Amino acid sequence: MSKAPLMMALPSKGRIMEQAQGLFARAGFKVARAGSARGYRGTIDGMSGVEIAFLSSTEIAQALKEGTTDIGVTGEDLLHEAIADADNVLDITLRLGFAPAEVIVAVPKCWLDVATMSDLDEVSAAFYAGHGRRLRVATKYSGLTRRFFAEKGVTGYRIVESLGATEGAPAAGTAEVIVDITTTGSTLEANQLKVLDDGIILKSEAVLACRKSLAGQPRIIDLRDRLESVL
Amino acid sequence: MPGKTSGERRALDALTATLTSEFETAGFDYISPDILQPADVFLDRSGEDIRSRTFVFTDPEGREQCLRPDLTVPACRFHLSHVADPADEASYCYSGPAFRYQPGQYPHEFHQAGIEWFGADDAEAAEAEVLALTLQALKAAGLKDYTVRLGDLGLFHALLASLDMPERWRRRLHHHFWRPRAFRALLQTLTGSAKRRRTSISPLIDELADADLATATALVEAELDQQGLELVGDREISEIAGRLAEKAADRLESPLAAADSAQIDDYLVIRGALPDAAGEVGALAEEIGGNMIHAAQRLQNRIELFRQKELAVDEFEFVAVFGRSLEYYTGLVFQIEIAGPDGGTRTIAGGGRYDDMMSDIGAGKRVPAVGCAIYTERLQLALEGRS
Repeated sequence: MSKAPLMMALPSKGRIMEQAQGLFARAGFKVARAGSARGYRGTIDGMSGVEIAFLSSTEIAQALKEGTTDIGVTGEDLLHEAIADADNVLDITLRLGFAPAEVIVAVPKCWLDVATMSDLDEVSAAFYAGHGRRLRVATKYSGLTRRFFAEKGVTGYRIVESLGATEGAPAAGTAEVIVDITTTGSTLEANQLKVLDDGIILKSEAVLACRKSLAGQPRIIDLRDRLESVL
Repeated sequence: MPGKTSGERRALDALTATLTSEFETAGFDYISPDILQPADVFLDRSGEDIRSRTFVFTDPEGREQCLRPDLTVPACRFHLSHVADPADEASYCYSGPAFRYQPGQYPHEFHQAGIEWFGADDAEAAEAEVLALTLQALKAAGLKDYTVRLGDLGLFHALLASLDMPERWRRRLHHHFWRPRAFRALLQTLTGSAKRRRTSISPLIDELADADLATATALVEAELDQQGLELVGDREISEIAGRLAEKAADRLESPLAAADSAQIDDYLVIRGALPDAAGEVGALAEEIGGNMIHAAQRLQNRIELFRQKELAVDEFEFVAVFGRSLEYYTGLVFQIEIAGPDGGTRTIAGGGRYDDMMSDIGAGKRVPAVGCAIYTERLQLALEGRS
C-alpha cells in the first residue's frame, strides 16, 4: 500500500495558496507547478512518491470527501460544508494557523428584538404567519446552515444560494438573514448586520487534512512534524 | 436489489389492486397525482430542512422541482386544480411511488396507496370512516396481526386554550410542542422555575419595562435613529417593537401557575387502551374545564363511532404525545403497526387530520382534510412473513 503514490492537493489561488506554499518552502519542500505556470499538476522536492494537484480550496474539500485526494490543505469551513460527518471521514493532521475565519449567522442590526437563534426561530414563525412566505437565508454554506439550524430547532426558513457578496443580501432585499464567513466583522458592520449571541457555527482556519484511513502513516507523520516545526 | 422482477411486480400490482378496489368501492375517486412537483410548495410549507430528505433539482428553466416525498400534498394540489371551491367535498384514493432520501437507507423509492377526504362536514364521522376503511383494506389484503396507535393534537390545543395564560405563551408552547426538550425548557421558563437568560438585547428590554406598543414603537424608532440604522430585512418597526414589548411584558407577567404546568404534564403522560385513556382525559377535562371538556367529549364520540363500525377500540392504544414528530397534523393522528424483526414495531400505515394544509399551499381558506397512506411494500413484506 505504501508504494502507491500519495495524492496531495494544494490550493491553487488566493492568500491561502501563498501561505501554504510559504509554509511548505520553510519546511524544505519546494513546490512547483509542472509545465506552464498555470499548470494543474505539480511536483514537490523533498518528498518522494507524492503527486501534487493544484485545486481551489472548495475542490480540495470535495476531493478529500470523494477520496480522489489523500491529503490536502484547505479551510476547515469548506471541509465541514462539503462533508456532513467530516470528523468520521477525515483526520485533521495539523492546524496551520492561517486563514482564520468564523462562519456565523447574522441578521439586520435593526432587528432590535433578535439576539439568539431561539429569537430567530420565533421570528421565522411570525414572519411566515404575517408575510405568507418563509424567511430567506443567503449563504454559500447550505450544508452547514441546514445542520446548524436543525440542531438549534430553527426550521421555518428558505436558503437562497449566494455566490458572492452574501453580506449585501439583506440590504438588497434578496434575503433577510445571512450565514457567511467573517474575519474581522468589518464587512458585517458596514452592512449593518449583527452576529447572533449563539450564532457562531464554526471557528475555522487552514488545515492539513487527510483521509482517516491514512492517518498515522509514517510519511504523513513525517510531513506533519516537518511542517509543525516551522509553524 | 435494483428493480423488481416480473414476479415481484405482479405481486405488488395485485396488492395495489386489492387496496384500491376497497377504496373505490367505498366511493373514493381513484386519481393519479403528479410525481413531479414544484419544490416551492414543500419547502415553503415545511421549511428548508426537508431538502435533506427530498430529491430536489432544477429544471432547464431554473425552477426547482422535486420528486414527491409523499402523495398527500400532491393530492391536495390535484384537488385545488380540479374544483371550483377548495371547500367542495371530495374524496380521493391513489397509489404510486414516492421518493425520500434517507442516508444509508435503501431504496429511496417506495409505493404508497392511500385515501384523502376533503371538505367533510362531520369531522369525527370522516375520521372514523378513514380509519375503518384503511383497516378494511389491510384486512382484505390479508393482514391479520396489527396494532392501532392514536393521538389527538386537538386535545393539546384545547388543553392550552383552557389554561390561564397570555395568548403569546400558548402560541410559543404550540410552536415547541414538536420538540420535547425545547418545550420542557419553555415550560420551566414560563413557570419561573428556570431563570431567563440575559442576552445582548436584554438592556433594551430593561428600558422598555411596562411600555405599551406605541411607547415601544417610539423607542425602537429613536434607537434606529440614534444608531443610524436602515430598516432592512422586510420586517416593519411595528413587528420589531411588538416582539420587544412582548418580551418586556413576559418579565412582568405572573408566572404560569404550578398547578397549570402540572396539568400539562398530567396530560402529556396519558397513554393506554383507548377507552381507559379517554376516561383519564375526561377526568382531567373535568378538573380543567373550558374547551377541554368539549375536546374530551369529541374523543368519546370517536370511540362510539369506531364501535359502530365494529372496530376493536379496546385494543387501540391512545398516546397523548403521539404525533409529536409529525408536524402537519392538526387533530386525530393514527398509525397502524406490526411487530418488527428487532422486537420493535414497524409502521404499515399512517394518517390523520391536517386542516391547515390546504390554506398553507394556497387554498385561501382552511379546508377540513383527513386521510391515510399505506406503505405498500412494507405491507407486502409483512404478508409474506418477511417484515
